[in-house]
Amino acid sequence: MEEKFDCIIVGGGIAGLSAAMTLARANARFLLIERGEFCGAKNVSGGVLWGSDLARLVPEYWKEGQGFERFVAHRRLTFMDRQSAFSVDFKSDHFSETPYTGVTVLRAVFDAWLAGKVQEAIDASEHPDESFIATDILVEEVIQEEGRVTGIRAGDEVFHANCVIIAEGVNNLLTRQIGLEKAYVPGDHVAVGVKEVLRLDEARLADRFQLSGRSGLTNEFVGACSDGVEGGGFLYTNRDTISLGLVLGMNDLRDKGKTPYDVLNGFKAHPVVADMIRDAETVEYSAHVVSTGDIKGMPSEIFADGVMIAGEAAHLLLNAGKAIQGMDYAMRSGILAAETAIEAKQSQDFSASMLGNYRKALENSYVLQDMRSFQDAVHLLHRQEMFSTVPDLICDFGRQFFTVDCNPTPKASAMMRAAIKRHASYWDLVKLGLKGAKAL
Amino acid sequence: MSSILVFCSVQDHRIKRSSLEAMSRARHVAHENGVPIEAVILGSDASALVSEAAQYGASCVYTISNPLLDAHLNAPVISALDAVLKQVQPRMLVAASTEAVKDVLGALAVRSNAAVLPDVASFEWSGDTVSCQRPVMAAKKMAATSTHHPLVFVSVRSGSYEATEAPADGQEVAVPFEFDTASLGITLREIVSQAGDTVDLSEARVVVAAGRGVRDDAGRQLVQELADITGAAIGASRAVVETGLFPATAQIGQTGKVVSPDLYFAVGISGAVQHTAGMANSRIIVAINKDPDAPIFDVATYGLVGDCFTILPLLNAALREALA
Amino acid sequence: MKFCVCIKQVPDVQAAVQTGRMVLNAYDASAVEEALVLNASNEDPVDLVLVGGPAATETIRKALAMGASDATHLVTDDVADSHAIAELLAAHFREHDYDVILTGKQSQDSDAGLAGSMLAERLGLPYATNAVGLAVEGSTLVVTRQGDAGQEIIALETPCVVTCSNDMNNPRIPALKGIMAAKRKQIATQEIVTPAPRSTVRETTDPPGREPGIKIEGEPAEMVADLVRRLDAEAGVI
Ligand SMILES: Cc1cc2nc3c(=O)[nH]c(=O)nc-3n(C[C@H](O)[C@H](O)[C@H](O)COP(=O)(O)OP(=O)(O)OC[C@H]3O[C@@H](n4cnc5c(N)ncnc54)[C@H](O)[C@@H]3O)c2cc1C
Ligand SMILES: Cc1cc2nc3c(=O)[nH]c(=O)nc-3n(C[C@H](O)[C@H](O)[C@H](O)COP(=O)(O)OP(=O)(O)OC[C@H]3O[C@@H](n4cnc5c(N)ncnc54)[C@H](O)[C@@H]3O)c2cc1C
Ligand SMILES: Nc1ncnc2c1ncn2[C@@H]1O[C@H](COP(=O)(O)O)[C@@H](O)[C@H]1O
Repeated sequence: MEEKFDCIIVGGGIAGLSAAMTLARANARFLLIERGEFCGAKNVSGGVLWGSDLARLVPEYWKEGQGFERFVAHRRLTFMDRQSAFSVDFKSDHFSETPYTGVTVLRAVFDAWLAGKVQEAIDASEHPDESFIATDILVEEVIQEEGRVTGIRAGDEVFHANCVIIAEGVNNLLTRQIGLEKAYVPGDHVAVGVKEVLRLDEARLADRFQLSGRSGLTNEFVGACSDGVEGGGFLYTNRDTISLGLVLGMNDLRDKGKTPYDVLNGFKAHPVVADMIRDAETVEYSAHVVSTGDIKGMPSEIFADGVMIAGEAAHLLLNAGKAIQGMDYAMRSGILAAETAIEAKQSQDFSASMLGNYRKALENSYVLQDMRSFQDAVHLLHRQEMFSTVPDLICDFGRQFFTVDCNPTPKASAMMRAAIKRHASYWDLVKLGLKGAKAL
Repeated sequence: MSSILVFCSVQDHRIKRSSLEAMSRARHVAHENGVPIEAVILGSDASALVSEAAQYGASCVYTISNPLLDAHLNAPVISALDAVLKQVQPRMLVAASTEAVKDVLGALAVRSNAAVLPDVASFEWSGDTVSCQRPVMAAKKMAATSTHHPLVFVSVRSGSYEATEAPADGQEVAVPFEFDTASLGITLREIVSQAGDTVDLSEARVVVAAGRGVRDDAGRQLVQELADITGAAIGASRAVVETGLFPATAQIGQTGKVVSPDLYFAVGISGAVQHTAGMANSRIIVAINKDPDAPIFDVATYGLVGDCFTILPLLNAALREALA
Repeated sequence: MKFCVCIKQVPDVQAAVQTGRMVLNAYDASAVEEALVLNASNEDPVDLVLVGGPAATETIRKALAMGASDATHLVTDDVADSHAIAELLAAHFREHDYDVILTGKQSQDSDAGLAGSMLAERLGLPYATNAVGLAVEGSTLVVTRQGDAGQEIIALETPCVVTCSNDMNNPRIPALKGIMAAKRKQIATQEIVTPAPRSTVRETTDPPGREPGIKIEGEPAEMVADLVRRLDAEAGVI
């Protein structure tokens, strides 16, 4: 007796689990397949999960306090040259209100926790024995019959479903297999993310970063952190660890002959960063590709007959300088894909025209709207000036502005002009400034 | 009067060094508590080894010379030790944590109603409490464990203490022992010793351990050469034992043996926790690995990043010269 | 042969960052695998028994997904040592007959290595520890065990108890059908009271760290020369 599922989800990351939760709540019969030994085993993201969708999936998750590390109460954006750091810093009690604006997570913990919540939802659904989360299994093929997706193959096992949600993450082999991703150019639309998790005693960590209870700090960096390579850095506080890492342009790294590992070591040795991670012991190092957030990198289409693509498999990610938004996009797209699957089930229509509602919903959501409206910012961020000239200039200005040397002090505007003269042509900067204003 | 009784394991007609290490520690603990230290030796060599036990401080040595006890079968050993325990009524039974001891410890504890502190790195006794430090979680943590039970078995990891002599009388007491083999239910068919079992790993002062990086016969010969030059015993990781290149008796780690030599060469070993669980207490660790991020470098005293097929010939030549 | 495997849920010792994730004790997974292989060509059961809290169900499902037949979950949240476990398991086996009872050679977390032989003694059964191979010959179980200086081949009359090393095999990874079948199986549960342990863990600490080492870099010949000099002058080991 072969069973046919309402839906098969490939990938137990954020997008897949969010889809699964939505399906379980709607009493659908589904199979979620994750190749890692458990959900989260293969995921290395930094990360901050932004936005409030988590509260939609797991209402009042903060009450139990499990799964996440800290909520974001303090944000900082730092421009750095080799010696200095100039920060824009914002801290507000407003951030302590639930639903939080963002929570830091360690994916190995978070995904496993979320999978547990999905399992609870399955158990509470009308068909507790007919939906499954299966781990340690690699989906090798998406099966197509007469041009429509009908199921998956893992090893010599084949399973069928009315529709398949591919939530396989940035390395989207299956998406390419069914022809939705155009000619694949490695490096063009992906960057490399490197990350270390450093352990620090919880009390010391709270003290060092001025945190209380479960509040946390996020710090993004531009400038010397990436050692001249296109990209930026981040530091996030977890409960008793710090996530520290960089996202670096893959092509630029190759052109400049640098390894991510070396750049990360340089970042850790920067005086400002070294002070933040003093005495913290590295417990994990990982590297992973990550989308650049260029909308041109998206698959040619994110649905077809019997299939939808969610999360980073569809290159849904925005990195416009002030934050990386990949997880929240994965979450929202997973939810929307599942909602479309439920709609399709009700009308027993799993054709492309029906599943196209997924694209419409995504277009109407903040995901594609933000990705579209911040494209210029994304491109701006990839300009050489943004990770060299601008941070140098800002730090130079900062040094003058904050220095007292018992000589007559010029006005700030004169200081700025002097800094600009040393680091850039005035005209270039005006152009950049105009672009920046428009982009954000 | 209660005493500390030390079970001496015998191999190749000698008391194992790890047993003597355990006895040396037991002697200190016994002195601190003002009780005598006694030993028990089983098997056909028992009487001949009484003087060696005495050399390390045993005031009295209980022997059972029945050859059945040589036969690597657990049931007779349990009965024999139980008989000695009934006669001696010690406070503690201390032994080296060998495979043969691990084989009987649990069953014996049930039979003679004892608590067990297995595979300890250190132990002490004060008042009514026997306590120890034992590595847990693949030696990533140390657990301070204790018991108030009136009879306590302690098995000690090799290399945890130094074996020191302290001659005592060592009077032999032969304990009567009968065993009905009809009820045995277990027979030994054969013992397969593999080549390369010449130097006992847990007793070696130098160990050369090979990992999967030593991928073939040529690699094995380089490792063998290094071992010959340094007078080392050969160890191995599980991954390379699986390939059949090295015997299972050479395996070091959580599943294999625990060693703590003065000098440990880890050649082509990544340094998984299950491996380091068996060797992290070595005094000097030299790691040769081509992956600069291999976790073995976290425990190594000296780390050489490079291909062992390039490094070993040079190292062998240099050591041959240095040691000539 | 009718097999029953005693399985335990343990923390994942391999994880770099302790996530609190619990897994099937690797030695027990090898025991399950071996029993499944030995019974592959007959209909005899490979049953499971586990002592542990409610969350351990996940571990039972994992072993069921490998292909085990039925499982009993003796439910308790109390901490137990090997003594207590052996006593509980013995009570279970007095009610259920098997030809062969398998356990792991040790728990990956506590590394005690006692429960198997304690259980055998309580049941008055012959046993072997640290098995690296099993074979069935009529009503006899032939065990290859790893001894101190070689492998010992031992014949055990059934019923008997054997503790298994992970060097015995590489446990299978459950396939989708197995996972789905396992989820639909009934697990017999029984609330139990844990006997008092004979020893207790007072605290766990980090082991004394090693002095940070030195990475010797350079050309192979230079590295070797430097190493030999250090082994002689600094370390005094040659
Ligand atoms: C270093 C780094 C830092 C980052 N920081 C942040 C941050 O701070 N905030 C943020 O929002 N985003 C961040 N991101 C991006 C974020 O991680 C991703 O956008 C997000 O994880 C995408 O979620 P997903 O569910 O689409 O894919 P993933 O989380 O990648 O999940 C995909 C899952 O599918 C599984 N899978 C893949 N193929 C198969 C198959 N064939 N069969 C079975 N299973 C399969 C994988 O094992 C994986 O579990 C960061 C990324 C990196 C690399
Ligand atoms: C319950 C359990 C118990 C276990 N018990 C043990 C145990 O007792 N002992 C044990 O060892 N393992 C044990 N393991 C296995 C352990 O987890 C590892 O898989 C094993 O130790 C890996 O062996 P390895 O380092 O030789 O192989 P690998 O991990 O494959 O590493 C090989 C290393 O060699 C290096 N290398 C390759 N080629 C070269 C070259 N030409 N020159 C230099 N370096 C090179 C590589 O960079 C790599 O670091 C156990 C596992 C489990 C689950
Ligand atoms: N809670 C438990 N439930 C079932 N079997 C167990 C349990 N604890 C230990 N065992 C068995 O005993 C073996 C380990 O013994 P020990 O190292 O003494 O804990 C394991 O491999 C299991 O087979």
